[in-house]
Amino acid sequence: MNKILADKDLTRRIEEISDQKLSDCYQCGRCTAGCPFAEFMDVPPNQVIRFMQLGLKEDLLKTQGPWFCAACLVCQARCPRGVDIPRLMEAVRTIHLRAKEGLIDVPEIDKEFLLDAPPLAVMSAFSKFTY
Amino acid sequence: MKLQYYPGCTLYTKAKPLNTSLHACFNAVGIELAELPHWYCCGTTFTLARDNRMSLIAPLRILAKAQQEDGKVLVPCSICYNTLKRANYMLKENTETLDIINEHLEESYDGNEIVLHPLEFFRDNEELVRSKVKKSLKDLKVGCYYGCLLLRPEQEIQFDDPEAPTIFENFISSVGATPVDFPLKVECCGAYLVVNSPDAAVEASYKLLRNAQDNGADVVVTTCPLCYYNLDALQAKMKKAHPDFKEIPIFYFSQIMAIALGMEEKKLGLEQNKVSPYEILKEYNLL
Repeated sequence: MNKILADKDLTRRIEEISDQKLSDCYQCGRCTAGCPFAEFMDVPPNQVIRFMQLGLKEDLLKTQGPWFCAACLVCQARCPRGVDIPRLMEAVRTIHLRAKEGLIDVPEIDKEFLLDAPPLAVMSAFSKFTY
Repeated sequence: MKLQYYPGCTLYTKAKPLNTSLHACFNAVGIELAELPHWYCCGTTFTLARDNRMSLIAPLRILAKAQQEDGKVLVPCSICYNTLKRANYMLKENTETLDIINEHLEESYDGNEIVLHPLEFFRDNEELVRSKVKKSLKDLKVGCYYGCLLLRPEQEIQFDDPEAPTIFENFISSVGATPVDFPLKVECCGAYLVVNSPDAAVEASYKLLRNAQDNGADVVVTTCPLCYYNLDALQAKMKKAHPDFKEIPIFYFSQIMAIALGMEEKKLGLEQNKVSPYEILKEYNLL
């Protein structure tokens, strides 16, 4: 994992990809309070942001939290500091995907489900979770 | 009158009922939907990475093509609507990106094509809609589920208030049914997490359906083919996880409108619903 970012500063990369300023977040936790998927995350959104603020590379790249973000933008609508949190989650996924670490193994997806599900569900998941 | 129309991939496959009922509704109010020639996928989902310009190419080529035909385009699918509108906004805010993208497009584009949702059209033509209603749906209590993509981000989409929208309830009233407000109407159904974390989608969809029922809804209505799938197809799994859950039929907004306009049953596409809509419709003499 370290090799991905050996020559780059993680915080700066995240800010660049997301176009957000990490110091804007004052850790009120409102994003986590409203997140419909926080209960499924090993690390909830505000803590993921804390990892970013502190530059805790290994913790950040290990957490599954960002993979449960459906970009529903409830947190974005409610953040009192105007932080676009889904962009931060996308930045983490982007770092993984650009290092060829995807979440979905396409051949593993249940065929019956693929035939039943609408194309936009499958295409959206592919665009968010595969490289 | 003609209105330019971009259906998107799912309306030709799994969301045919949305496509056919929508055509029927627009025809009934005297409007022909003229499909954008040679359209293709919008890319599904707007990229949130600022340096990902590649993902903007598909939506912008669609918008450039649409602009050559007409200054506005009707987009019923929530994902397409969100993706196209956000791509538009991004270009207007960021002329550097606009220039870079235009270098890669055969067509040149200025970010000015108007992306219109059917609910916006029906809001602006409410009297016309009211005048065409033939069947009384006033006993049918309809939970209006917005989901995420029509509402957020507010600044870019400018559809309605992201926390307390009313456009859907007003639409349901204008076709004569009784709208039911419920707090989770603006929350996520689980979206594409259904592909890799189905449990998360089942739980999210269950919570909001339960919330609609607790507030008195007989049925839940949506605009989005992905919400529709999660709310309808996942009910068997919801029942497994929560045995006291009672199934509730899901409709597209255009199906409800088509019923109100007295369309024949074959135009409604009800046979594709996994949770049967027939009992409730018969109970209120709507079939």
